Amino acid sequence: MTVWVAIAALAVINFMIKAAGPALLGDRPLPPLVSLVVHSLAPALLAGLLIVQVLGQGWREFDWTLLAGLSVIGVLWLLGRSQILCILAGVVVTVIIRALV
Amino acid sequence: MSRSGSAPEYGWRPGLRVGVGLGLAVFPVAVSFGALSTTLGWPPLATIICSAVVFSAGGQLALLTTLTGGSGLLLALGAATLINLRFLPMGVSVAASLEGPAWKRALGAQTILDGSWAAAYQGGGRYDRLTMFGASAVQWPVWILGTVVGVVAAPAPELVESLGLDVVFPGFFLVLLLDSFRSTPRAPLIAGTAILLTGGLVLVAPTGVAVMLSSLAAFVVLIGRDRRDPGGPHVQESQ
Repeated sequence: MTVWVAIAALAVINFMIKAAGPALLGDRPLPPLVSLVVHSLAPALLAGLLIVQVLGQGWREFDWTLLAGLSVIGVLWLLGRSQILCILAGVVVTVIIRALV
Repeated sequence: MSRSGSAPEYGWRPGLRVGVGLGLAVFPVAVSFGALSTTLGWPPLATIICSAVVFSAGGQLALLTTLTGGSGLLLALGAATLINLRFLPMGVSVAASLEGPAWKRALGAQTILDGSWAAAYQGGGRYDRLTMFGASAVQWPVWILGTVVGVVAAPAPELVESLGLDVVFPGFFLVLLLDSFRSTPRAPLIAGTAILLTGGLVLVAPTGVAVMLSSLAAFVVLIGRDRRDPGGPHVQESQ
């Protein structure tokens, strides 16, 4: 029974967390300073998501082969390659390195 | 969605295409959740329903492991909520890009997932809601299907690593982060601050909390800015 209550409660909480910003803010124009910060959320959160994926909780998931794959992705991005190609190359390089070491 | 090499594409179709790539990455995670959940004694139906109504890998895993680890209901919900709090600043960031009355915006915001939200970013603080909808529309059934597969037949967790699927999400976040350098003022400074902040936080806090607090790095954009002209030309700047 606890499992079902927990799942239902988490579903409701999750809904409210996601809905809060759009439902309360709407499309009201934000003050310029707030707008500037909101516009800057994307690089901040993307960097946060990237680091969490690379390091994991307590840095326990750090894997240098993943870093090698990400480096390839970064270099190909600098060379102007498409997003899909960058990621695909990163995956292939990581798989090859893991197979070799 | 090839923003670095060609013109940006947004809308339902590009969103669906991104969703296929992200779906390939989330599928093994969903399988892992289904398998672990069954091993830890959750009823199969509850596991599948959980994936359908919560649809959040971090939150679901936190709930499962804390609840089956002996924690009470409130502690388990607290842990899962902390993981999912990162969706709060994401919701704020897409608020102006969603349309219609409050209830419709609230429903649209349910498609906010890490990958979908990132794919919808157009630069200059704008997001394409259709891209986000499309990317999430693919991932949701894939997430449920993966959970079912995990419940029925648990594959070895090493499979994800050997196929290199763990590169897809960080790789995706990396190219979008690099793209944002072209469209957001002071993005490298913001990203550098977020990297240092998050790198330290994951040592002492759950990953969901670390991601949520990484949003604080956005405030560095205010450093040295004239209060009388806070936005200047930068607020309107776009890709």
